[in-house]
Amino acid sequence: MVANVKDKAVIVGVGNTRFSKESGVSELNLAVQAVKAACDDAGLHPSAIDGFATFTMDANDEIEVARTLGVGDITFWGRSHYGGGAATGSLHQAVMAVATGMAECVAVFRALNGRSGHRFSAGVSEGVMTADIIHWGWYMPYGLLTPASWVAMFTQRWMELTSVTKDAFFEVAHATREYAVNNPNAFFYQRPFDRAEYDAARMICDPLQLFDCCQESDGASCVIVTTPERARDLKQPGVSVRGVAQAAAADQEQMTSFYREEFAAIPEMEIAARNCYEMADLTPDDIDAAVIYDAFSPIVLWQLEAWNFCGFGESGDFVLDGALRPDGRLPTNTHGGQLSEAYIHGVNGIVEATRLVRGSSLNQPAKDVNHALVTSGVGIPTGGALLGKLD
Amino acid sequence: MNEAEQQAFEQEIYAFVGEVVYPVTPAPDDVNESMIRHWCEVLGETNPAYLDQDWAADSARGHIIAPPAMMYVWGQEGFQVTTGRAANAQSNLVETFNRHGFTGVLGTNVKQEYFREVGVGDNIAVQMVIDNISERKMTSRGPGYFFETLATFTNRDGETVGTQRFKVLKFIPQEQPAAAASDDGKLETPTRIASVRGHDNGWWWDAVDAGKVLIQRCTSCQTLRHPPRPMCHECQSMEWDSIESTLDGEVLSFTCVRHPQVPGYPKDPICAVIRLAEGTNLVSNVVGCEFEDMAIGMKVKGVVEQVDEKTALPQFYPA
Amino acid sequence: MSDYRTLTLAEVSVGDKLEPVDIDVTTGLVVCGALATRDFEPVHHDKSAALATGLPDVFMNILTSQGLMTRYATDWSGPEAVVRSIDLKLGAPNVPGMVMTMSGEVSAVDSDSGVVDINVLGENNIWGMHMQGTVQLALPREG
Repeated sequence: MVANVKDKAVIVGVGNTRFSKESGVSELNLAVQAVKAACDDAGLHPSAIDGFATFTMDANDEIEVARTLGVGDITFWGRSHYGGGAATGSLHQAVMAVATGMAECVAVFRALNGRSGHRFSAGVSEGVMTADIIHWGWYMPYGLLTPASWVAMFTQRWMELTSVTKDAFFEVAHATREYAVNNPNAFFYQRPFDRAEYDAARMICDPLQLFDCCQESDGASCVIVTTPERARDLKQPGVSVRGVAQAAAADQEQMTSFYREEFAAIPEMEIAARNCYEMADLTPDDIDAAVIYDAFSPIVLWQLEAWNFCGFGESGDFVLDGALRPDGRLPTNTHGGQLSEAYIHGVNGIVEATRLVRGSSLNQPAKDVNHALVTSGVGIPTGGALLGKLD
Repeated sequence: MNEAEQQAFEQEIYAFVGEVVYPVTPAPDDVNESMIRHWCEVLGETNPAYLDQDWAADSARGHIIAPPAMMYVWGQEGFQVTTGRAANAQSNLVETFNRHGFTGVLGTNVKQEYFREVGVGDNIAVQMVIDNISERKMTSRGPGYFFETLATFTNRDGETVGTQRFKVLKFIPQEQPAAAASDDGKLETPTRIASVRGHDNGWWWDAVDAGKVLIQRCTSCQTLRHPPRPMCHECQSMEWDSIESTLDGEVLSFTCVRHPQVPGYPKDPICAVIRLAEGTNLVSNVVGCEFEDMAIGMKVKGVVEQVDEKTALPQFYPA
Repeated sequence: MSDYRTLTLAEVSVGDKLEPVDIDVTTGLVVCGALATRDFEPVHHDKSAALATGLPDVFMNILTSQGLMTRYATDWSGPEAVVRSIDLKLGAPNVPGMVMTMSGEVSAVDSDSGVVDINVLGENNIWGMHMQGTVQLALPREG
């Protein structure tokens, strides 16, 4: 049986900074802007915060963020590892802290100058300074240096096994782009595109072309997590965390699990999905909308399968039926996703999933959104969360 | 620069759009055989259309022509530029950028179009304007603006023989990687990024240096494993030896890494996950094969090669 | 006369590759190329001026690069080809001591206009891409 923190923690505030290619400010500046915006949204003073959760990759010290914001004493800080795998991982930390009483009000944040500072497209070619260095050494000498190159290797094989074509990748990219067109904070605001433009874009790593790849962005996002009791007194309708899970599956490597018997698969995400559904006592049929981590277009497809919205190899047809669109089965990445809004390492996705449940997305579907899914990155130890309305 | 300052600055630079850099200026020299021949000599150009009167007389053109790429040469300012150029709209624009910290300069694109071929005895006049200036962009060099000059070339009859668009980035310089010059001033050829060698993996790379690809084997239960690790995941034994792979393999997946290009690497390397005959997987390159001919399931054969001055790697060829 | 053949339009198809050519970037080529193109900017002939810009030595001027690229295209096509345009993206400098390899591939053939597009890459062995772009040639329809 899975550990159960169902409905023991509630998202009460969300905040994004302006997303850009050149923030012109420090990552600390971005972090405190996002946390302050989330506090304002919740109707809380920063001094209400007593805990922080972020990524091991984030460059901001919790205590600096606290001092800068005027947060007083803090009793909890926790970080989640593995790049974009930490998106709901940091939420997971916050939920556990609130559910156990280690903290009452935790700010989950991620702030990065991902375009004007260190760029993800530079990959590991700009020098690796971590314990991962032995790991990357198996790939660097051959030229596999970037996230796109690692994901391309999975994609090529998955396409061969499933016969899913780039039609489905384009549908993922196009659906998110159409959402971004309505979002003033999105990089592609008012900039629609078509198949010809998609096809003409340069090849990055076969079969991934430019518009299969997410943005590189400057910006920060934050959500504030607190107890259900406190949530009921606050400004916004609370969005309860029904289920949240992290998982690494057997034989996992960071982005390069090429040694599994069948590596065109994401068993870690399947574990997270199973545990989330069980914890929340929900099934895929209960999920009305989703924010699915989209560093690259094909990874959205694999996650649709892992979360059982369709079977293995069926995600192509699923999306080509219009599932991700506003009136589709599962309106997805309604903020424009990381492909078209900004790459804030998935935390902008938690902000959007919260808005979907509140009913305040810029692209709010016409139907009732009672439950929304939000996921973390793919190819790494990862996770996801199921959000619902606070009773 | 705050928003108001940026606005004022942009107003100042955008006022340069349409400004004339050079009014219509005839070239000091008519198109002539001597300058053409000197140009061809240095460029290693042997095209008889530029050099061989007899050939040219019998050719479709009937006479020799100037190399099209010389179009801009005829109107160049002369030796006096070594002591500086006279101020014009372009230098004033550049000066404006410099004053505001956009001191970096980088020619990024140049496009010449040729509408008419030019024969000996003609005279090429050039006129140049500042055609456009971009919005502020974040570039890999730093924040900056692109400006583009448009030069129009006309012959003695006033017909346009061609145009040139030249795009220049003016940027605020950021810290750049040090120029790849070593202490003795000799240029160093970059190599592939080396793998760091530690306790658990160093022996494997040392074997590659000696021309062999090894696979770690548990001496207790004989299970093979790669990449090397200190303990057997099947029986938890820490005793191991290794076997040498035959490097017979099959491609399980592959990609061609086209962007970004990294110094020290071949252009567009093909990377693949290869299942070795022994049963373990290895990531490597497939060489000696066009990308279009790659397929999952194709059989490959590996060999350890010296891929650059410092790096030995297994490389695989279609079997 | 018959030493010089020119490819006809019918002989060329998209995907045809041009034989790569190596250019030794010598001080002679850099300096003399600058002079042959009447480019007297000091950075192309005076090492101290080049050093002041942060580069290790004099570097090739654009007009020489353009000349090399059109030469590469017409060496392949033959002398009756008419150069229509050359569109270059500029990359890392060519500095003496480097070897620049030019490679090319036919990327478009327009049978109506008779114009062939050749994608050309000039890459040096130290810093990578020096120039990359397209040369357009009009080819005769019959030999």
